[in-house]
Amino acid sequence: MTVTPGWYMALAAVLFTIGASGILLRRNALVMFMSVELMLNAVNLTFVAAGRNLNVLDGQVSVFFVMVVAAAEVVVGLAIIVAVFRRRQTASVDELSEMRG
Amino acid sequence: MVGNLDILAIAPEIALTAAVVVLLLVEVNFDPHPRVWGGIAGVGIVAATVLSVFQWVEWSGGSGELAFSGMITGDGFSAMAGMVVFPLAGLSLMSGWRLVTEMRRRGAEMVSLLLLAAAGAHLMAASANLIMLFIALEVFSISLYVLAGFTRSRADADEAALKYFLLGAFASAVFLYGVALLFAATGSLSIYGDPTIYEAGARGIIRADAGIAAFLDSTIILEPGLLLAGIALLIVGLGFKVTAAPFHVWSPDVYQGAPGGITGFLAASAKVAGFAALARVLTVALGANIADWAPAVAVIAAVSIVLGTLLALAQTDIKLMLAYSSVAHAGFILTSLVAGPAGVAGMWFYVATYAVSVVAAFGVAAIVSGHTMGRSPLSSYEGLARRSPFLAAVLGITMLSMAGIPLTTGFVGKLAVFTAAADAGYLWLVILALVASVAGLYFYLRVIVLMYFRPTSDDAITPRVDWSSGIALGIATLATVLIGVVPWWLLNLLNDALPF
Repeated sequence: MTVTPGWYMALAAVLFTIGASGILLRRNALVMFMSVELMLNAVNLTFVAAGRNLNVLDGQVSVFFVMVVAAAEVVVGLAIIVAVFRRRQTASVDELSEMRG
Repeated sequence: MVGNLDILAIAPEIALTAAVVVLLLVEVNFDPHPRVWGGIAGVGIVAATVLSVFQWVEWSGGSGELAFSGMITGDGFSAMAGMVVFPLAGLSLMSGWRLVTEMRRRGAEMVSLLLLAAAGAHLMAASANLIMLFIALEVFSISLYVLAGFTRSRADADEAALKYFLLGAFASAVFLYGVALLFAATGSLSIYGDPTIYEAGARGIIRADAGIAAFLDSTIILEPGLLLAGIALLIVGLGFKVTAAPFHVWSPDVYQGAPGGITGFLAASAKVAGFAALARVLTVALGANIADWAPAVAVIAAVSIVLGTLLALAQTDIKLMLAYSSVAHAGFILTSLVAGPAGVAGMWFYVATYAVSVVAAFGVAAIVSGHTMGRSPLSSYEGLARRSPFLAAVLGITMLSMAGIPLTTGFVGKLAVFTAAADAGYLWLVILALVASVAGLYFYLRVIVLMYFRPTSDDAITPRVDWSSGIALGIATLATVLIGVVPWWLLNLLNDALPF
């Protein structure tokens, strides 16, 4: 059996779903943030598989942009999480309930 | 092959980034008075606005062009986005100036982030490629995540920043997955396509990237699952940014937790940039599939209007009330998009005038309850008219405009978007929106009643209006009334602000 790009896209869809469920179900800010990264990597896999499938270079090139932007997001995100952790000694979002919108 | 490298297409971004670089270098080397930061930022914003006007003169009315290998568009649409976003950034900076000076040296970072966010917002409206749009979205969003938590000394500010960051990153990932699926379905990331770009594929196949719209026009997709999923995820991702329900859960906490002086910009720029991006992607790239996405947009609009209005009725904090009313306004603006290209002019009018009102409303809230503070309970507005007639007048006119009372911009905006939706055959949506507008009168007029017909409590302080906030609020209010009384010239102008 050959593994076609379609399989990779299916795998990416599964990974994306796992990441999205992680955001919605987990309560630790760091784990939620890792779930976002998982979602972005699922997107990368989709880009590469689709680019390969369609024989277009755009897919592979897009991955580089996504990785760079994800790295920039990590810088800001970890800084915010560290700031929250220093104040409260916890990174659980359940503790962040001073505001009830 | 050298593509079109028209510098004018990104000239406003260059002006703003140059201002940021100069600002940070000057701050690090000379540690000047905050007035110097303000001067540099002001020069940057004015230059960017003027360059947007040049863009408008060059490209308005449908004669646009693609620059930088089909990445950036120069057209009336992007020029109008600049002419809206940059003055908004200026107004926000003026009304939040006290916060900037109170932050001491960190204030320079704050000014820089605001300018970068404005550049990202304009880039979102000017993107002609979905990956370019993603990068612009992130430049804009990441700057705002930092701004939301800028007053670290206050506990609910870092809470707001974390919530904004986690949900914003989630929304960006959803948006990006939509882009990837759209790419998988159509083989292109280009909103417009550029027939001059020829790519040699790995197997020597030469192929013109004609763009998403051309592909969808010329191809019958037998199994449109990927395409539809991509469109849905795109709308959800951008729906988060413009606080359309049910993707609005972050906005009340963020609006309440963010430092008061900056909340107006947070709320206004996200609406302008998000709706500009949504309008361009939906009407240009997916214009041929309007039958697929218009019903979904109509449902999101209806949910936003109903949920936003109902939740705003129950609030006792003016920032929470404004947050939920902004959800309802997102619904009103989405109402215009169901009409496709015919609704874009109405969308511009609504989003631009609403953004001005929001900056004014949060500007008043920042003065009444403090520039660094988050909370702003309605009780502190009792008898405001006696303590500060100017602030009461500004907030009163803003509330009237948001409620959609005639002779203010809010009325004209609602008229424009409802007409567009009714012409497109969404009468049920227009009727629903009209009922919600009437219900909305309650919570807008309640603020006015509190300010003018209630006695001041004895321990209430008299808010002090600094001159820069005063000028910004004055300009915003004047614009709301003047454009509300004579809106025709602007409505005519906006007919030239369509994507080409």
